[in-house]
Amino acid sequence: MSIGKKLRLKFIAVIIFAVLVGLIAYPKAVIKIPKLFNVLNKPKINLGLDLQGGIHLEYKADVSQIDNSKVAEAMQAVQDVIERRVNAFGVAEPVVYTTKSGGEQRLVVELAGIKDINQAKNLISATPLLEFKTEKTDVGQQIPQDVLDKTNKENKAKAQSLLDQIKNGADFATLAKENSQDPGSKDNGGDLGFVKKGAFVPEFDKVLFDGNLKNGEVYPDLVETQFGWHIIKKIEQRGSGDNLEVHSAHILISKATQPAPKTTWVSTGLSGKNLKSASVQFKTQGLSEPEVGLKFDDAGTKLFADITKNNIGKRVAIFLDGSIVTAPTVQSEVSNGEAVITGNYTLNEAKNLVKRLNEGALPVPISLVGQQSVEATLGQSSLEKSLKAGVIGLVLVIIFMLFYYRFLGLIASFALLIYSALMISIFKLSGFTPWQITLTLPGIAGFVLSIGMAVDANILIFERTKEEIRKGRNILSAIEEGFKRAWTSIRDGNVSSIITAFILMEMGTGFVKGFAVTLIIGVLMSMFTAVVITRTILRFILGSWIENKLWLVGVKKDDDSEISKKR
Amino acid sequence: MSNFNIIAKTKYAYIFSGILTILSVLALFVWGLKFGIDFTGGTLMEFKFEKNVPANQEIENTLKNLNLKSLTLQQTGSGSVLIRYASEDDKINQEVIKEISEKYADAKNLRTDYANASVSSELKSKSLLAIFWAVIGIMTYIAIVFRRVSYPVASWKYGAGAVIALIHDILITVGIFSVLGHFFDIEVGIPFIAALLTILGFSVHDTIVVYDRTRENLQRSSSGKGHFPEVVNRSLNETLIRSINTSFTVIMTLIAIYIFGGDSIKYFALALLIGVTFGTYSSIFIASALLVTSYNLQIKKK
Repeated sequence: MSIGKKLRLKFIAVIIFAVLVGLIAYPKAVIKIPKLFNVLNKPKINLGLDLQGGIHLEYKADVSQIDNSKVAEAMQAVQDVIERRVNAFGVAEPVVYTTKSGGEQRLVVELAGIKDINQAKNLISATPLLEFKTEKTDVGQQIPQDVLDKTNKENKAKAQSLLDQIKNGADFATLAKENSQDPGSKDNGGDLGFVKKGAFVPEFDKVLFDGNLKNGEVYPDLVETQFGWHIIKKIEQRGSGDNLEVHSAHILISKATQPAPKTTWVSTGLSGKNLKSASVQFKTQGLSEPEVGLKFDDAGTKLFADITKNNIGKRVAIFLDGSIVTAPTVQSEVSNGEAVITGNYTLNEAKNLVKRLNEGALPVPISLVGQQSVEATLGQSSLEKSLKAGVIGLVLVIIFMLFYYRFLGLIASFALLIYSALMISIFKLSGFTPWQITLTLPGIAGFVLSIGMAVDANILIFERTKEEIRKGRNILSAIEEGFKRAWTSIRDGNVSSIITAFILMEMGTGFVKGFAVTLIIGVLMSMFTAVVITRTILRFILGSWIENKLWLVGVKKDDDSEISKKR
Repeated sequence: MSNFNIIAKTKYAYIFSGILTILSVLALFVWGLKFGIDFTGGTLMEFKFEKNVPANQEIENTLKNLNLKSLTLQQTGSGSVLIRYASEDDKINQEVIKEISEKYADAKNLRTDYANASVSSELKSKSLLAIFWAVIGIMTYIAIVFRRVSYPVASWKYGAGAVIALIHDILITVGIFSVLGHFFDIEVGIPFIAALLTILGFSVHDTIVVYDRTRENLQRSSSGKGHFPEVVNRSLNETLIRSINTSFTVIMTLIAIYIFGGDSIKYFALALLIGVTFGTYSSIFIASALLVTSYNLQIKKK
């Protein structure tokens, strides 16, 4: 193949390449050809949270309670759980990953385009904490019987003296107010309102309904019940038969008793992390009360078998988020690893609970250590502003290049446009590879900056070319020489930029990373466009026609005379 | 081609750079840098008010009950207010949002940045380490590239010269931000570190282009034509237009970002602007001059 033919093919390749990246970068150019437009419009730039609005959350996981060898496993479990939770509220492409940072285990959650940031945060950290606890009865400190008897003797004597006072004409209501130990009625003068038979304890009922008291009469004896000693006054009655209601009042002097045994719940070690799955099921076939069936993993099955075996006849409670849901009495040992929560659920409640349980509890506690959130409108305006800055920067650079390097500048500007389109195409197409690039605000800054740096290679080449012309070469060979001689400078300079950009990337934080990635890609691509593409175009276009038009490359006439002097 | 005797002006360049560097170090010692929340830990929130923007005093009263530590409020001038405070726990952030949105129905939480102290201290050490490695990496790279040029000055001196020049650029940029922080409350965060590292790369890029030309001219004149300071001076002149033009295009794009790019990256662009300007200056007036100075000392010793 002749050199001319080869050059022509190369030039055609450059043009096709330019049109291709141009169309991918700006599909609107062919909006009148809908078929082509639809294909080209598919790839989209993946915008960062700062440009489309969203939230970046960084959590620290407390793994101090976990054996070192199991940390990785636990972190994976945390990630899985959070992923499930995040997926549950339907954000497009949520990002969840774990990182290690300065000896700390971290979990990063990124949600794009979310409207209610606080709600999202709550959903992430809301842990459905499922625990199984066994009952422990605590009798507490016992009061010696003789002390109790003595106190009660005094109490009874006090009640008797009150009854005596009433018999001697003291006002019932006043005494009730001052002495009654029934907090519910004392302030009303002991008034208990109308009741039917069976509302009170039997001893009390008996006096009201069988005591033959007249309206307004006080029962002549103290009435002892489990609560203490009552002085009872019948006020009135209405109705008859089954509808008989009696209006009464009383004064109560309480009885001292042994403190009631307290029930406390003790953790068994069986918790949501032992849960294999949860499902909605029904007590009997058909439309009965929905229940939540639980299935434990192997460790959970064994634990549950032990718990049930050791607690036959006692209650085992299921706690959800720290409150008791149900506390059935164990009938027999359960060794198949299944349990049921019956909690008067509606079907929807049961379904929600199952969903939350399946989303799981976290194996280790997490706490928020860092947050960056950007509201969508702010992201949008950042995007618009930075794009505007980019376009203005690009235009300024092109004007400068045209002004300073004339025809060469025109070719360089063309290469610069190809470069910009190429960068946008790479951002868009990276979505189809495993290395998707997320364009952030600093990324755009890096891109705009790289436009300024991209022409550097061309400036180096063109300056060198001008120099060679002044030394007496003709334009064509001067350009070849310019490309050749400038290459080492271009290479060395760009390598140092890439070194720092890689170090920036290693720092790893969002802002820096976005900037570094676009800078690296920008530097590499600009070397390609500024050297390969500019060279191909120049070689193809330039011919003997340019020989005596030095002004086209920005070399002045008086430089020209200098050239002849040197000759 | 320009023909300035740049090397002859070395004395003035040294004095100018020396004074600026000393002033920068002084500013750093006296005022330090005003670190943003990425480095100090704490919270920065921006609230936009659709109707009237309340006065700082009013917002302060609204938040009084929360006892926020080192609370500062700043009006942005575009209908929003920046609220900064020290925070140790995310709970306080929730409360601030609650208080503000209860008091002002038209308030919208535009953004929230929160960093716990553990995150910020880790970032600080990471940043310093990154700068350290960048300097080492660049120095090594230059020494390798220029390893064949050991006459008349050793190749490692090219690396050292470039590194001194870029430390000069970094120090002056940091010094200017110390002044800006003290007088205009401009904060220094992660973006600033990214800017510094970029300046490192850029400043070296410029220096390398000059060194590269020096290397080429030295190899060409190995027959003994020309004396080292003259070769360096010629190389500087030959690359002068390129250095200025390249910096000019970069500076144009940076000015575009600074003016039109929005608040979030404004000071990032400013840091780059300062660094790139001084980087260009130092690669013309300092980096090569250092080679000549070391050459002259070498001659004297002999």
